[in-house]
Amino acid sequence: MKKIGAVVGVSLLAAIGVASLGSAQNATLKIGAITTLTGRLAEFGRQQKAGFTVAINELNAKAGSKGQQFELLLEDSASDVNKGLAAAEKLVNGNVGVILNEYSSSIVKAQAQYLSRQKVPNIIVSASDESITKPGFDYVYRINPPTDEYAKVLFQIFTDTGIKSMAILAGNGAFEKSVQASALEQAKLKNVEVVGNQVYDKGLTDFRPILNGFKARNPDAVFLVGYQEDSVAVMRQAKEVGLNPKLFAGGAAGFALPEFITGSGSASEYVVTATAWVPELKTPGNKNLYIKLVNALGGSEPTYHAAQGYAAVLVAADAIKRAGSATDREAINKALLSTDLQTSYAKIKFENFEGYKNQNRVSMVAEQVQKIGGRLQFVPIYPRSLFDAKLLFPTPAWDKR
Amino acid sequence: MSEHTSQTRGMTTVPPLVLLAIVVVTIGLYPLIFGQFMNLGISILLFAGFALAWDILGGWAGQNSLGNAVFVGIGAYSVAILHQFGIAPWWGMLVGIGVSGLLAWGWGALTFRLRGSYFTLSTIAVAEIIRLIALNEDWLTSGSEGKNLGSLPSLFGLDLFDRRVEFYLVLLFVAALLAFGHWLKTAKLGFYLRAVREDEDSAMALGINPARAKLTAFVLMGMFTSIGGGLWLLYLGRIDPDTALVIPVSIQIALLAIIGGRGTIYGPLVGAFIIGIPSEIFRSVLKEANLLVYGVLIVLVIVYLPKGIVGTFEEWLYKRQHPLEKRGS
Amino acid sequence: MEFFSQGLQGLIDGLLTGGVYAMIGAGMSLIFGVMRVVNFGHGDFVILGMYAAFASNQYLKLDPYVSLLVVLPLAFVFGFVLHRAILAKLLGANDQTTKLATLGLGLIATNLVLLQFGTEPKTVYTEYATNAWRIPLFGLELRISEVRFYAVIITALLIFGLNMMLYRTELGRAIRATAQNRLGAELQGVDTKKIYAIVYGIGVVLAAAAGVLLLPLLSATPTLGSVFTNKSFVVTILGGLGSLPGAIGGGLILGVVESLGSSLFPLMNSHFGANYRDAYGLIIFLIVLLFRPEGLFGRTVKRV
Repeated sequence: MKKIGAVVGVSLLAAIGVASLGSAQNATLKIGAITTLTGRLAEFGRQQKAGFTVAINELNAKAGSKGQQFELLLEDSASDVNKGLAAAEKLVNGNVGVILNEYSSSIVKAQAQYLSRQKVPNIIVSASDESITKPGFDYVYRINPPTDEYAKVLFQIFTDTGIKSMAILAGNGAFEKSVQASALEQAKLKNVEVVGNQVYDKGLTDFRPILNGFKARNPDAVFLVGYQEDSVAVMRQAKEVGLNPKLFAGGAAGFALPEFITGSGSASEYVVTATAWVPELKTPGNKNLYIKLVNALGGSEPTYHAAQGYAAVLVAADAIKRAGSATDREAINKALLSTDLQTSYAKIKFENFEGYKNQNRVSMVAEQVQKIGGRLQFVPIYPRSLFDAKLLFPTPAWDKR
Repeated sequence: MSEHTSQTRGMTTVPPLVLLAIVVVTIGLYPLIFGQFMNLGISILLFAGFALAWDILGGWAGQNSLGNAVFVGIGAYSVAILHQFGIAPWWGMLVGIGVSGLLAWGWGALTFRLRGSYFTLSTIAVAEIIRLIALNEDWLTSGSEGKNLGSLPSLFGLDLFDRRVEFYLVLLFVAALLAFGHWLKTAKLGFYLRAVREDEDSAMALGINPARAKLTAFVLMGMFTSIGGGLWLLYLGRIDPDTALVIPVSIQIALLAIIGGRGTIYGPLVGAFIIGIPSEIFRSVLKEANLLVYGVLIVLVIVYLPKGIVGTFEEWLYKRQHPLEKRGS
Repeated sequence: MEFFSQGLQGLIDGLLTGGVYAMIGAGMSLIFGVMRVVNFGHGDFVILGMYAAFASNQYLKLDPYVSLLVVLPLAFVFGFVLHRAILAKLLGANDQTTKLATLGLGLIATNLVLLQFGTEPKTVYTEYATNAWRIPLFGLELRISEVRFYAVIITALLIFGLNMMLYRTELGRAIRATAQNRLGAELQGVDTKKIYAIVYGIGVVLAAAAGVLLLPLLSATPTLGSVFTNKSFVVTILGGLGSLPGAIGGGLILGVVESLGSSLFPLMNSHFGANYRDAYGLIIFLIVLLFRPEGLFGRTVKRV
């Protein structure tokens, strides 16, 4: 009898404890987020998650122990469109007021359509396919630049270095095709001749026929767009095949990851890539952000995806504050429309211009893989007004390195 | 040699229509009991349908197709593509059925000279080629991005995006296949198929045209699967080659039928539930590796229950009903 | 002129790729030739080989080529045990069933790899992986990748070694006897169960070896298994199931068809090119399957 009494008593206490914990937790402001934590795009998800975490910690530290804490509800889309939709559905049913969304354009497009239909505010973090905000959807906001910006900064370099001809190689996903379209448009505007234009399926591992085809046409520049393992394979094979343009230009994504350098080794030197953020940018608090991100990544170099993740959380929190609620979707939506926030990533203001809807106006910068002190690393080089380092041009031929 | 006996015996204790009604009504209660797991219910039931369709060729005719994803894809893409032109999904589905039927007819006519594994290999090859076409011909299929369903017309006033509506539509699909299975058991076509499966040469001696029988089964399989493909599109709201046209889909379909019991009427349905539920439970633990459950189950079933779950059950039932009958090895 | 230069380079690249395809196909061909089983999980064993090499590189700091010495014996033991433990139980069953069992095994293998290593592609960087010899010929500069060339040499050595074993050793005789007539071999005192396990082990060794050789060139991804299985189907059908020299021929043909298709078609039109690469091989596969299922170099097979 005594034993039973004890058990009941302890369980009651435990139940009360859990209940009070629960009620304390109910006071957190929840922000929903989806990214690719597993699957072929896992590395990008890891970067975004680091950014999210740094931002949440920063917000909660500012709020202190008395203020309301923010909580991130992070779901994994596993690099799969359908799982991404399932994750979005889960968050929508879980009553979150705003959802941060994602890395891959193919995955994001489906989610954006769905969330817009469900009338849930949706902040795009890194996906850059033009059609996401052009014409765009209600309730969908994008803080990162669309692919036209990716192409613009690279073509700035082309113009300054006198590039007259180029060949493009892009994957067949939404993002890659958008960059390709943007690049072709820029080529027409800037009078650069397109001597080769190929799309590949992500299962392809042998680029040699395509690269050999480019080699025969002798382009001044080779424009490449792909995710992680593709970027490594392409550069390695370019070296093997002996493709020697004056410049290799990468359309961010796989080309902006530290793994690109470790995977391709010496083949990555001199490759230029567009990128949305570098630690050297002189935005307020950027140096601090860099240090925090490195810590969150366990020592690895952060990429622009991490910085974008960070900014997205701040934007969401700012909208929640101004709306006065973390669950009133209409109020948050209204608040987002009037966002005007300076972050270490960039200034965030959603505007409608040139056919874009709810798009933040921000340009890309460009970096190049250079050997500094015997080590290969990314060095920001464009726009020249922002950075001191010089672009190394033209790229020396493979056998002359 | 002892396989066909479970066919002709089976569940003779219960009249087929009653059994069918019981099964359908029981499943029909699912949304009322497990209302928050509608997604799971729909996908299990849908794949049960695919497996049942597969079984027409795989179980009854004994030809293993590992390329059924093609028919799923044709069904889904037909509805999606025509939807863009404002054509309602049911017409799209009819077109899908037509295209699948044609493809199956042509493909079957060419490849039925092949026996066993060679036929299976050919299905894999054709499925891959069609996947590549869907991936590259983006003027038709929008390539790797696939097609989205922005909005759907209502069917007799029902909202086609509503999970419950979708569930009952899929149940209707499965019920039709089950009814077809019952019919097949006593119809001439059923006997022809079984004869061809057991011994093609003897069947020919009896005057049966094996190629024609197999072709009929193939076409039926293609058309039914295509309907399921259209339903899948409604459920997912979108389709792309990586979702519908990949080998794992074909493999999954075949395996559900085999694990459940080939050539039995309810086998594939049982297979879908037996695999689907633990698979979902394991998903949170194993995440992408939940196919591990598939692999382990296949090996276990094939080694210990070669006739599949329902097949083994039917055999056991038969043995109990005929305890004095001696069976061969 | 472009046609010629692209064609020649494409031919060379195709032969180099084909060499590795041959290795993958040889394993499957052997297993079928002796056991009449289509090893549906073959490509997954190639993946196992890749990951084994990756793990050796990661934890033992071994260069992929050196890790062959570690991986191959392990692969043999693995295949042998796998057969004894599971496939041997199915020896009486028809080949449809065994085929599906191998499929199941392949699934298990791949998913275990997934659990252990995750879904992200894994790369091993070796400085020499991108080196290529430059050969001036007919006024063109042709490139031959060193690593792929060595892979072909190793493949050839392994396959010829295997062939020698089959025709010059007692074990080889036992294997051939079992392949021709299992009952007869048993009557002669051959332990056919053990032979089957040995043959399966050899098949896995060949698959794993291909995986190891491919690692410096590709990233290891768990989902690539079905791609390799498909390639090995094509190779074995082209070469004739059960013929090792045929596997070499089949592999080379597949490699060349894919490579030439990807290099030459773009010169003739803007639509078909590298994007349909796999389809070229599959179409040849279907044609051979329909009109000459015994393969281009194989023995006759029963037809309807």
